[in-house]
Order: sequence, then structure tokens, then C-alpha cells
Amino acid sequence: MRLVYRNMRANLDKASLFFELIFPLFFIFVEGYGYTGIIKSIDLGDGRLVSYQVYLAAGAVTLTVINGGTNAGTQLWYDRKNGMFEQILMGPFNRAQYILGIVFATLIIGIAGSLIVFALAFPVLGYSIAWSLRGALLVASALVMGTMFFGGFAIALSVVLRSSETFQIVSTFVFFVFLFTSSVFFPAGPAPEPIRTISLLNPLTYTTDIFRAGLFGLSPTLLGLELPVLAVEAVAIFAIAVFAFRRIRV
Amino acid sequence: MSTGLAIDAQQLTRRFHDKVAVADATFQVGQSEVFGFLGPNGAGKTTTTKMLTTLLPPTSGSATVLGFDLRTQGSKIRERIGVVQQQDSFDQGLNVETSMDLYGLLWNVPGNVRRDRVRQLIEDFSMEEFRRTSSLDLSIGQRRRLQVAREFVHDMDLLFLDEPTVGLDPLVRRHALNYFKQKVKEGLSIFFTTHILEEAEYLCNRIAVINHGRIVAVDTPANLKRKFGTAKEVEFRFLEGASPEFQRLLSTHDEVESVEMDKDSGAYRAKTSKPELVIPEVYRVAEKLGLHVSSVYISETTLEDAFISMVEGADREAKAG
Repeated sequence: MRLVYRNMRANLDKASLFFELIFPLFFIFVEGYGYTGIIKSIDLGDGRLVSYQVYLAAGAVTLTVINGGTNAGTQLWYDRKNGMFEQILMGPFNRAQYILGIVFATLIIGIAGSLIVFALAFPVLGYSIAWSLRGALLVASALVMGTMFFGGFAIALSVVLRSSETFQIVSTFVFFVFLFTSSVFFPAGPAPEPIRTISLLNPLTYTTDIFRAGLFGLSPTLLGLELPVLAVEAVAIFAIAVFAFRRIRV
Repeated sequence: MSTGLAIDAQQLTRRFHDKVAVADATFQVGQSEVFGFLGPNGAGKTTTTKMLTTLLPPTSGSATVLGFDLRTQGSKIRERIGVVQQQDSFDQGLNVETSMDLYGLLWNVPGNVRRDRVRQLIEDFSMEEFRRTSSLDLSIGQRRRLQVAREFVHDMDLLFLDEPTVGLDPLVRRHALNYFKQKVKEGLSIFFTTHILEEAEYLCNRIAVINHGRIVAVDTPANLKRKFGTAKEVEFRFLEGASPEFQRLLSTHDEVESVEMDKDSGAYRAKTSKPELVIPEVYRVAEKLGLHVSSVYISETTLEDAFISMVEGADREAKAG
């Protein structure tokens, strides 16, 4: 817990956090609102129609898990650059505790960010939410597994990429690919090929679909598949991240 | 600490693939001792430090640190050591005061103790002026001061200092060295790596010299100088000033390596390993040439002379062997 607190105090830039919150809100209140005039409604998959702004608002909340995940890579990257990685490992913590410190800090940031965006988007989403325990569990699962996946991905990237410029450019590019080939902005099903296939392989699509299912009380046919697939992807990418992390030479 | 030793290293070895970074390092560091670890760049100093601080596992050999086994009790060791690394280490964007406080928190130092210690250390290391300055805006020397001071926020029995005074001005450097001395009097043991040999001589009880991964000598600074500081200088002046003929004649003496004249001071300097034989010769030759010696003194061998002699000797042995 001491390490988690330290990670959140020392490695998180307040200005970056602020803009990470602004980013999804911009999508909801500017893009979503703007497109409402063009896209009248979107079918959630069970015949229910919602406005594009509502559809996008739910996706934009899951967008914060990407930002939370990027923070995991940034934390590790700053510590390696500033010599704190070795310093901490020569102190009362071992590598497992160090990586867990990053994981928990990332989860807190990712989930807290999502909740803040959710609260701010509530005026848009409020009427469409189907409150239930099942829904809450699905929402929580989506946020936790999504943050785990993108956190693991960013940690692996930060191990491989040594310069800050490369890390920033590559992580921004890769996360944009994840973002624009997911179901955050449009449903994967009716999308043209190859976007549809790519979207169906994209873990952000699963995160977003599970989140929407929980939020709107949906029971899409693929949900039973999406949950375990996202869990496996999150665990697999996290195992790769831990493997890469263990190989960091000091 | 059952052994009564802060460090007991036995044939500690670290290989990186084919390259042997440290070979069979054997040495002991006593409690409340400052143990200097000197060597040229790439000699194996940092690798040894990384092994002793549990950052890098040894390939072979064994060691106890504060009585705990290096291989099996790493976490026990880390709880009781402090490390000031050669490289910078700081928390991005935090100010001096918060950095120190957060570092103390990592070590589980209670809040009230942390606050008192941080306040005291800021005063001891003269950091009042920049206590609220972000670590990113500090000069190299200020950041180094923070890094050194920060380590004293937590309790420890053994401190590893790797080039701790790089970037510090002479006044702060001397102050830091005296601070270390004071802590040693209070019971702290220090493993001290430096390139500044005057510092090593000022601070260390004993010194190990490592070259090409092998320890070539371990002894007190005085004994190292005695054993390895071969060349000494006999410095002298004449009332009559310069005499090229004197310089030529003295240079032919068997025990004189060279004779040089400092044009600014007018002093002659004869390099020799046996000043007790050279000084009578100076008087004999001076009398022969009708010169009058106005002053003579023997300059002491420095630790730097001894260090160079040890390292060059080890290099020659390595080439021959």
C-alpha cells in the first residue's frame, strides 16, 4: 500500500490526469452531441435504440481504462529513467511487490477515472441505465480486466522502449489503433471488413461491450464468450508484461 | 549480527556470459567501519555493490551482509541497508521536502519521526533555500544533496555510498563527509566507493583496490601508501638559484629516477624511492659545485601514487600472466 501511494504521488502528473479526464468528456459532450444530428439512433443489439451520444458516452467511459493502462507504463518508465527503480529494489521491496504496486496504482487510477467520467456523463447516460447487481458486476469486470490488459500492455511497451519520445509516440499510436478499431465509436457487427474482424479481436471492444451490457442491462449472445476471452487476454498480456519486467537488467 | 561483521564476502564472483565482472572477491567490513572500495572505471566496483545490495545475484561465492545470507535472506538485508547510487535517483516532479517524506514512508518511518528527520536533514545538508523546489528544477549538486540526505530519513546499519559527492561543491562535500563520520561514530558501517582518493583517505579505515574484477589489495590507507607508494619526491632549493650542472650530476645517481626544476618556484624535485640516500647526495654535489642548499623536504607519497602503482602493477601482471 505504501508503494501504491508513492506511485500515485510521485509518478502521476496532475496535468496529464486532468487531460485524461477531459479527453473522454470531449468525445461525449462535443463529438457525441455533434453526431446526434447525423446519426439518429443506434441499436444496442437487442432492438433497443439509444441516441449516438448515449452510445458514445458508455464507450468513452471505457476509454479511461486505456489512459489508466498507459499510466502503468509511464510509472515504470519514469522510475527507470530517474533511477528510482533500482533504488526501490535496493530498499524494502522486491520485484513482485514493485510490479504489484504499479498494478494496484493503475487499477485505482483506471477505475477512479472511469467513475469520475461516468459521474460527469451521468446527465447523458442517466435515463438509459438499467440498475442491477448483475449490471454492476459486469461493469466492474470490464473496468478491472480492461485496465489489467492495457496496464500489462503499457508495462511491456515501457520495458522494450528505452527513450521517452519513442515510448510516447508508440504508445499513443498503438492506443489510437485500439481505440478506433473498437466498438467505442461504432458497433463492431455492422462495420465493414476488415474493420469488423479487427474490432472483434480488439480487447477494447470486449471491454466496451461488457461495460455496455452491464450499464444498459443487455444480454448479447456473445457476452458469454467475451467475458472469458477478455479475462484470458488480460491474464496473458499481464504474464507477458511480468516476464518482460523480470528481464529488466539493473 | 553473529559474525560481528557488516560484510563478509567470500570468493564472490559475477559473470556476464563470458565476461567475468568480479572474480573471487574476498573481504570483510567491520561494524562502524568505513570501507573504501576503489578501482578504475569498469573494474567491478558497481557490480560488487549491486551484488551486496541484492540487486544482482552472484554467479558463485558467498557473502553475509549484517549477518544475513546474501542468497537466501535478501529481504532481511534490504530492510537494514541504505544505498546512495552513483546515478541520479529522484521522484519526478516532487519537491525536496515531499521527496524525502515519501521516501521515509516507503521505509515505513512513522509520520511524526519523518517530519522531524526531514526538517533536521534539510538543515544539516543546507537545503532550506530549495526545500520547496521541484526535483526537476534542481541543479546537479542540489539533486545529489537531496539523494544523500534522503537516505538518512530511515534507520540503517550499513550504508552503501557510490560516488556520493559527485557534483557537490568543496564546502558541501566536506560537510557531507563529516556527517558520514559522525554517523559512523554512532554505529553506522559504510561501504564507500569513490574516485576521489583524498576523500577515501579522509574517511576510510580500510581500503580495497579492485582492478579487472580482482581485488589487488586490502589495507589501511597508511599501509597501502607504505607498501605501494614507491616514488617519493625530494624537493630542495639553492641560495644561488638554478644550476643546470647540478641537475645533470644528480640525475646520474643510481637512486634518482628524474630531476626536474619548477621554473616558477625555483625548486628542484628529485623522484626517488630512497630519499634517505638521495639527500646526502644533494649536499655532496652542491658542495662540489659551490652551491648552498637553502631548504630540503621530502613530499609524502599520496594515496593516488599508491593507487596508480597498484593498478599498473596489476595490469602488468595480467599482461604477463
